[in-house]
Amino acid sequence: MKPLAFIASGAVFGFLLSMARATDAAAIVGMFRLTDLHLFGVIGSAIATAALGIALLKRSGARTASGEAIALAPKPYHRAVVVGGVIFGLGWGLSATCPGTALAQLGEGKLYALPTIGGILLGTWIQQRLAPRAAVAPARSC
Amino acid sequence: MQNWPFWIAGMALGAFVPLFAWTSGKLLGISSGYAEACALHKPAGSERWKLWFALGLPLGGLAATLARGEGEVASTSAALVEHFHVGNAGQYLLLALGGLLVGYGSRTAGGCTSGHSIVGIALGAKSSLVATIGFMLGGFAATWLLIALAGARA
Repeated sequence: MKPLAFIASGAVFGFLLSMARATDAAAIVGMFRLTDLHLFGVIGSAIATAALGIALLKRSGARTASGEAIALAPKPYHRAVVVGGVIFGLGWGLSATCPGTALAQLGEGKLYALPTIGGILLGTWIQQRLAPRAAVAPARSC
Repeated sequence: MQNWPFWIAGMALGAFVPLFAWTSGKLLGISSGYAEACALHKPAGSERWKLWFALGLPLGGLAATLARGEGEVASTSAALVEHFHVGNAGQYLLLALGGLLVGYGSRTAGGCTSGHSIVGIALGAKSSLVATIGFMLGGFAATWLLIALAGARA
């Protein structure tokens, strides 16, 4: 696929995140306060639907529409997942935003996504500078 | 158009994952798009598409805002101010510091809420399940710490 097709795909995903209220900081704070369970339902039904779709893809030979192989290998487990996961979660709670929703927020006209996006870029950059020394595998996907 | 009920939104997001894989041959993820943005000075490799995908997200947010008939520009995260009793400076500090941890943490864990929590768990990956448990634990801890701090100042 060409860059434009990926941009269009990202736009669809951003639209869905927004319609799911995943870009709504109140919904994220409400999820962690257990006062608004909407996003638990979104995430749960998304996982179930994605798992069903992936199972169908596998059954049909894991090929794209044009016949190429799809890489469906899960990410390997390593201990950094635990530490990184908790660090990510702390940031998720502080900012009530995650990497995808911050970008969609910007398109919604929420300018306060700018410090979040700047922070994510800086954190990504620092991790990549420290990764070899910290012996953490610089993971490649998402 | 109103926002969708959780199950419609969830099913649409979930269905997008295999549809994107079927058309592009790739598993979607966002946090690695930020890594690509940090690697712009290097020649484009096989991961450059992740940057393009990430750059599409704001367009989708704009489309959803227009579909809902909204469109006002906001410079204050009302939810942070309301729940955590922070002022403007405190709010931007939370957003920037939170973003920093999100960026560092997602690259350390090898994924974020999309690549691990939706795609990875749907693939049955142990790493993604563990990462997501970490995301949730961290999220609850940070939220309740901020609430406690807001209460202590009140």
